Amino acid sequence: MSIFLSTLLNSLQSYGYPALWLSIFVAAVGLPLPIGLVLLAAGAFAALGDFNVIVLALIATSASVAGDCLGYLIGRLLGSKPLEWLEQSRSGKRFISPRTVARSRLYFKRRGGWAIFLSRFLFSALGGIINLLSGIELFPFRYFLFCDIPGEAVGVVIPLALGFAFGASWEAVGDVLGAFSLFVVGLLLVIVLLIRLIRYMCSVQRVKTGHRLTEVQNVTDVAPIIDPPAPSSGHLPLS
Amino acid sequence: MSARIKLIGTGILLCLALGATIFCAMQTVQAIQRFEESRNLATSGDVSTIGDWMTLPYVARVYHVPENYLDQWLHIRDRQSTRHTTLRALADQYNRPVDSLIHDIQRAIVTYRKQHTPHTGNTQHDKGQPPTGRKKP
Repeated sequence: MSIFLSTLLNSLQSYGYPALWLSIFVAAVGLPLPIGLVLLAAGAFAALGDFNVIVLALIATSASVAGDCLGYLIGRLLGSKPLEWLEQSRSGKRFISPRTVARSRLYFKRRGGWAIFLSRFLFSALGGIINLLSGIELFPFRYFLFCDIPGEAVGVVIPLALGFAFGASWEAVGDVLGAFSLFVVGLLLVIVLLIRLIRYMCSVQRVKTGHRLTEVQNVTDVAPIIDPPAPSSGHLPLS
Repeated sequence: MSARIKLIGTGILLCLALGATIFCAMQTVQAIQRFEESRNLATSGDVSTIGDWMTLPYVARVYHVPENYLDQWLHIRDRQSTRHTTLRALADQYNRPVDSLIHDIQRAIVTYRKQHTPHTGNTQHDKGQPPTGRKKP
């Protein structure tokens, strides 16, 4: 067990709910702390009556959402200005074109909701970065909260429930969760790459058929010179 | 970049991602097997599952040993201050290695079980079941 985790668990036992709230808040802002494991352990402690599991869930969710909001605000206040500068100034345009910025903003507006929701429990390591990115990209705050709260609730309830159910074996459960989330990430990557591959194959196929069509067209364009069609008027050519 | 190069690049990436996914799937299966082993040990009350994250009251409840018995075994006088302390922090507090503390607790539990197992050939206590106590006359 890492020293970080041991210290967190000791503070959880010594100071109770406030320590849990603070550690989850700090982790949600972006500090890499093993909060999933802390929640598993908290669930295990709750199973033996040290904590109330419902209060734990409420505290953990509120801390995560508060930390995410702070991350979003930091991104919005500090990150959006440099991006605007890159977008508008002449020297900034050398690094990144305004078209690229606009395209990324549009893309994030379209797909950002899913990224926010999934990063709360499936790719939790990316949570802090996605919060900052949401602020930088001026993602609508209400929609951010709409995706964030259910995601965090899922992200809190899963480890708490597993810790509560499996008690002393929570470390082994943590290993399973870690390995499984990596497997899911890999699987998603495979699906995305497979879709891209099929698209590229289709485009290559289209290019090939396009070439063939132009070749056929060229042949038909050239053909009358070699072999002119018979006149359709029905008159025989004068000899 | 031509479509053919993109196609080859994506194909290579796909192969790598597929390999990584298969590796992760194998890791997940192994983790599930380890979890099952750990779960079986924990439910059978095996003392080897005692972790440095546990507190003394936690150990007492999971392994069905009275708290004061563990306190006496470890010569802990101030019970209130150590009640919410993990075994790792307790070891630091008493300036001793955490493994030796855990080993002491394991010996304490095994001794308690030996002392409180009725001599009927039933090994219920060894498997971590709660002591039934003496039968009332």
